[in-house]
Amino acid sequence: MAKLLFGILMTVVWWMLHALQLDEEAAMGTLNDVKLAVNSAAHAAAQQLDRDKLELGVLTIDYDQAQQTAATYLMENLALDRNLQPTAESLLESAVEVRVFEVLGEDVLYPYSYHNEQYDYEVTFNRPGVVLIVHVQYPALFGVLAPIEWDIRSSAELVY
Amino acid sequence: MKQLLVFILFAAMFCWLMFSPIYKHVLVIRQALLQQEVNYLLEVGASGTYGYIDGSMIAESRLRLTDYGFNPALLEYEVTSTSGAEGGNASEPLPRGVGLRLKLTYPYEQLLNIDRLIGIAPPPEDARIAGRGMRMSEYVP
Repeated sequence: MAKLLFGILMTVVWWMLHALQLDEEAAMGTLNDVKLAVNSAAHAAAQQLDRDKLELGVLTIDYDQAQQTAATYLMENLALDRNLQPTAESLLESAVEVRVFEVLGEDVLYPYSYHNEQYDYEVTFNRPGVVLIVHVQYPALFGVLAPIEWDIRSSAELVY
Repeated sequence: MKQLLVFILFAAMFCWLMFSPIYKHVLVIRQALLQQEVNYLLEVGASGTYGYIDGSMIAESRLRLTDYGFNPALLEYEVTSTSGAEGGNASEPLPRGVGLRLKLTYPYEQLLNIDRLIGIAPPPEDARIAGRGMRMSEYVP
């Protein structure tokens, strides 16, 4: 009887360990995928030159276009819909929130150091650029792990 | 005799319990490999040198994935672009600013069939694991 009880207990413990391991592995994978998606979104957003101002010789980024581009790249890379809600094919199960979207244009002096105390982010720009901070929640597969949430920070500069 | 029988039974059961969920790792790793391959192809394809992902790159990618145990015939590559251009045509690379999209899928291959033993229905036949991505083309003519 004691052996049977021990057996059942061990089964539970082992399967929980397996679940934990699998969940942690998948979480690291998800973090990596989301970071890449955010990086590519920031990069694409930072390349949206404001052509009207370029004619006047001012190098800057078109805010609306940049914002739209960033959303498109997040959508495509993470299989989200227009409201950044995950679709059936997505890795995620809850909406992606864009917490910070800042475009540094011609009104600051470069090199410019960007600080964000709230998200503990610091970056120096040599050219106009974009800061993108996105909040993501990891959908736990088994619920063995405590819920994981990330603020994923990224930035990119205009390249020409 | 009885003791021995119990021992063998328990040992076998514990071994099975400890190692049976490992097959799920195959799925996790396969998904990660597909995503890694997509990232690599996009990194190269959307770079300033190419601006496309053509048949020869896909053939090489199939070879790489075969080394990891994928069946190359079952891999499906879908290359598209945001401008509606082909994206897979080496003679017409996507210009800078156009998004190059890639979706790479592979079937589950009955990996989760064993789950039926504990009452979980496996995914449908036509369901596929996928890696996907979109990068901005950097190609400048």
